[in-house]
Amino acid sequence: QVVVPEEVFFTIAAAGMLENLLVLIAVIRNKNLHLPMYFFICSLAVSDMLGSLYKTLENIFIILCKIGYLTPRGDFEKKLDDAMDSMFILSLLGSIFSLLAIAADRYITIFYALRYHNIMTLKRALVILAIIWTFCAGSSIAIALFSYEAATVIPFTILFPLMMFFILCLYVHMFLLARSHAKRIASLPTSTVHQRTNMKGAITLTIFLGVFLCCWAPFVLHILLARFCPHNPYCACYMSIFHVNGTLIMCNAIIDPMIFAFRSPELWSTFKKMFCC
Amino acid sequence: MSALRLISNRTSQQQALSNSDYTWEYEYYEYGPVSFEGLKAHKYSIVIGFWVGLAVFVIFMFFVLTLLTKTGAPHQDNAEPPEKRCRMNSFVADFGRPLESERVFSHQIAEESRSLFHFCINEVEHLDKAKQSQKSPALESNIHFQEVPRSSGIFEEDLSCLTKFNIPNFVNTEQNSSLGEDDLLISEPPIILESKSVMQSSHRILD
Repeated sequence: QVVVPEEVFFTIAAAGMLENLLVLIAVIRNKNLHLPMYFFICSLAVSDMLGSLYKTLENIFIILCKIGYLTPRGDFEKKLDDAMDSMFILSLLGSIFSLLAIAADRYITIFYALRYHNIMTLKRALVILAIIWTFCAGSSIAIALFSYEAATVIPFTILFPLMMFFILCLYVHMFLLARSHAKRIASLPTSTVHQRTNMKGAITLTIFLGVFLCCWAPFVLHILLARFCPHNPYCACYMSIFHVNGTLIMCNAIIDPMIFAFRSPELWSTFKKMFCC
Repeated sequence: MSALRLISNRTSQQQALSNSDYTWEYEYYEYGPVSFEGLKAHKYSIVIGFWVGLAVFVIFMFFVLTLLTKTGAPHQDNAEPPEKRCRMNSFVADFGRPLESERVFSHQIAEESRSLFHFCINEVEHLDKAKQSQKSPALESNIHFQEVPRSSGIFEEDLSCLTKFNIPNFVNTEQNSSLGEDDLLISEPPIILESKSVMQSSHRILD
């Protein structure tokens, strides 16, 4: 088994939780940031925090078992383990749906620009978030209770690429429109270069989706392999790097605020106010 | 997920397992030892294959997106004359350099088209430059004076809405100014026709 040292685990988990907590506090404190877009970013931050929290609790759990305070096969520990599993699945589903909500919000901003303010009111955004989190909580409890049956694993693993594909389509559509705008502007008498901006757009889109894919796909593959071929030596070898997959998910919790929340100058100025004054 | 089993796994591994056997206990199912002898391919072939596949996919996605920037858009109306394309290429080196006064207006349109991608890229200084360059042509030519804030407002609604910096401002200005869709159609300096056709094309995408 490939073992990641516990100090690394704890450091990454703590960093992820701290960062997302900062984002939450900044959005709550600044009235200018009480907008649907920032609420979706907050939802992403909450799900990332849950993921990091899960990893921290699991590590504490392991340490307690090593010390001998808890028995590995007791009844209470099994229930606790189930509860922690459902927290983890909640975090995963919450992440996916938050990313979807952010992409949909940006899509509406571009294509329904003039009616955006009427379509996406604060109240509707909160209702959408409530629906998303209720659904995630329900399905996470269901999956944790009925895990390891094929009926739960397969929809779970199908959901992941489906969502990613949908998000990719939304962003590519936005990207195409932006590029057609840029080309239209380039047909004016003078024009600055657009190759570079389009390249930047391509890079940013790739970063968005690449990070999501690289951080979550290993774990999803792990679940698939654990369900369908646990005895195969190749699969067992893949499953031995389970800790690395978990660490990747926590790294996702650290990277997500950087590529979503920290791009906003308003949020940055709120941070500065919080720390400098 | 397999916290409890990992512990018992580790302790049992320390006790008595042969080197070629590996026991993976996952949750409440106990799998027997998996022997690694007699494997045709490398032990970590799935791991390597998975990561290589993932990297190839991401790079492929990136190249597809980059190719999209080079080929034409399917719904583009105006075909670019080759001279303008050459001029566009020649401006690669001049990116960001301030242009002359009669060209400043189109420069700021280009600035704001760049701001579309700045929802991804935090480049506040470009927006500030755009806003500053909005003010400077207004001082220089009266003809542009009223067109500048209006069309820049439309471009902000259309292109810059994604910029997180702009969205609060966008929402506020839309509330404060009484610009409805009718107003935008009625007020038509010639430069705004450009942005109007852009909006129409974006609505065409939806329908």
